[in-house]
Amino acid sequence: MKRLSEVEEGKYKIVEILKPGKTKKMFNLGILIGDEIEVKKSCPGPVIIKKGNTSVAIGYGIAKDIIVEKVE
Amino acid sequence: MEEKIIGIAGNPNTGKTTIFNALTGSKQKIGNWPGVTVEKKEGEYIYKDIKFHVVDLPGTYTLLEESEDQKIAIDFLTRNKVDVLVIVADALNLERSLYLLVLLSELHKNIIVDLNMVDLLEKEGIDYDIGHLEKLLKVKFVKTIGNRNIGIDDLKEEIYRNCKEKRDEYLEFNYGAEIEKLIAEIINNLNFSSAYPLRFVALKILEKDEKFIKSISNLIDYEKINQIIFEIEKKCGKSIDRILIEKRYAIIHGIVKECIILKKRGLKFELTEKIDKILTDNLTGPLIFLSIMFLIFCIVFSIGNPIQNLLELTIENFRKFLSYFHLPIWLDSLIKNGIISGVGSVISFLPNIFLYFLFFSILEDTGYIARAAIVSDRLMHKLGLHGKSSIPLILSFGCNVPAILGTRTLEDKKDKILTCLSIPFMSCSARLPIYILFTGIFFIKYQSLIIFSLYLLGLIIGILSMKLFGHIFFKYESSPLIIELPPFRMPYWRNVFIDSWMRTKYFLKKAGTIIFSGSLILWFLSYFPNPSKYGTEFNWIGKIGNLISIPLKTSGFGFWQAGVALIFGIYAKELVVSTFGTLFGTGNLQDVLKGYFTPVSAYSFMIMSLLYMPCIATFWILKKEIGFKWALISFFWSLLIGWISSTLFYQIFIFLKGG
Repeated sequence: MKRLSEVEEGKYKIVEILKPGKTKKMFNLGILIGDEIEVKKSCPGPVIIKKGNTSVAIGYGIAKDIIVEKVE
Repeated sequence: MEEKIIGIAGNPNTGKTTIFNALTGSKQKIGNWPGVTVEKKEGEYIYKDIKFHVVDLPGTYTLLEESEDQKIAIDFLTRNKVDVLVIVADALNLERSLYLLVLLSELHKNIIVDLNMVDLLEKEGIDYDIGHLEKLLKVKFVKTIGNRNIGIDDLKEEIYRNCKEKRDEYLEFNYGAEIEKLIAEIINNLNFSSAYPLRFVALKILEKDEKFIKSISNLIDYEKINQIIFEIEKKCGKSIDRILIEKRYAIIHGIVKECIILKKRGLKFELTEKIDKILTDNLTGPLIFLSIMFLIFCIVFSIGNPIQNLLELTIENFRKFLSYFHLPIWLDSLIKNGIISGVGSVISFLPNIFLYFLFFSILEDTGYIARAAIVSDRLMHKLGLHGKSSIPLILSFGCNVPAILGTRTLEDKKDKILTCLSIPFMSCSARLPIYILFTGIFFIKYQSLIIFSLYLLGLIIGILSMKLFGHIFFKYESSPLIIELPPFRMPYWRNVFIDSWMRTKYFLKKAGTIIFSGSLILWFLSYFPNPSKYGTEFNWIGKIGNLISIPLKTSGFGFWQAGVALIFGIYAKELVVSTFGTLFGTGNLQDVLKGYFTPVSAYSFMIMSLLYMPCIATFWILKKEIGFKWALISFFWSLLIGWISSTLFYQIFIFLKGG
């Protein structure tokens, strides 16, 4: 398990979100714990993830609090 | 004629504006929501025997009162009678739009879902069983392709039919036995009648919408309710607001899955992904971003400036033309020096402002704004700003007015206020004539270097002020970036033009009034009490100039002409130059100025002109965007910082020279 800010591009599953208050907006965008996402662009700079037809850019400040797990 | 009110709601990037434009055409007006500085768009149309007033609500994902936009949406929906609420849904992101639908259904509104951009469904190779969706969600669905005007008549018909029918059945999600019990318990504890359905209030409390709870805190026994929530959270080990969100999405996901019709796989959106790869790359991204901004400046410069010159020439000729009429002297002066100058400065603004609005609209419509935010986020964050601040900041080097308007893409109010406060320090193109005049006289060898140093100084002062204000007022930490990347699309020209035209018109109307009345006041001060000596020290304006020149002594230019020039610069900064021209009268301006300024005081004067205060138009737009209080703060702060900077510069140089 790694932080979203540390991972390479590829497919991941969101395992945990450390500061839910800060990430409320992510939930609002429909990205939830347990979701499978695809990392399209990794740090440095904002991480770009994709779930279904939604692409979201997440700044380092939030990405470091999102724990993900590699999906083979 | 019967009148009905229609609200248009929806997530950002769903084509809400396109639908709004398609319904109302050009019959719309822009204003502000009462008490706040968020833009409000209204329009109307007539269908059959009903006149429909359409209100475009701010784009939202949820109904949490976390941002000003969302608060407005909730306030509007709860306080006003809305006959029909149209939710514009992005066909490819249906689940998220349905999430909003579920939230809004709790408010017992008459809802129609406008499934927009259905042409993209085909590309994606899917479709929806609309009949089934309607049955499960208890609302009507209409398919549209807003940018091709397809389905708009169906939508109008459906809205009409909805107005004629009475509804009493609303979608209510079942959140499962445990939570339903909790909701019932909270409702039991809510012994008051509210503007909202009680179930909505109960859900809001469970969602821990702090601002909402605060607004009703004197009506509920929050401690008791909190106790109940605490217990259930302990039992399931998760926070209740998260459970609610997950439950809703789970149910919606189930519904969509049940109603989706998979066809053969169509073309995926590989193109967007490929373009994104280049646009957001750490190397090519910033390069492209800077090139685009540079291109915009070049185009505005090469199209806008000739038009501006042409307009100014026309105004000048009109002024000459008036001389043939032999009007009474005072009237002649009022028209030529007061009215025409005032109107002239507004009009000469227009081409550039329209062009900046136009390009901003295009960037927004194509989806590039989000990419620009990503590219500049890292740098901006280091400066204490949000990634989305970069475009307004860059635009501000062209003109501060559209730049400040561009900050409306910043969702967080703190980000917006701080960006707005730093923008007036960015050296707009109206300040350039001042630099050109002075550097042309005193710094011929190093002209471009000196001018560049002023741009840099403005940037530094802007960023420092922002950091300072952030520290004083907000204990500021810029909100971390999290934005959706809408798929790229061709700009929809109708939208782009309506949008920029409406904005320009709004600017012309409102800023025009202020600038115009300001110019009348200035004329009055320049004309009286000695009409024959317009704008000289024998008139009030000169006396004020004299008064102002007292503190200006420490900056090295303590004479009344400088004071007056700076006063006129409030209209528009380029007027500083023409005012010097008038005040020093005949003879070569360059030679005359050499008698008044030294290189050091000339540079000090340029610092002052750069910083001393936002022009009237900027001040007005600041007031509109972030409120009167902040506009005043910006005004006095820049006055202070302008004086301190120019004085410091002058005194240090004089000291070094002397010592």
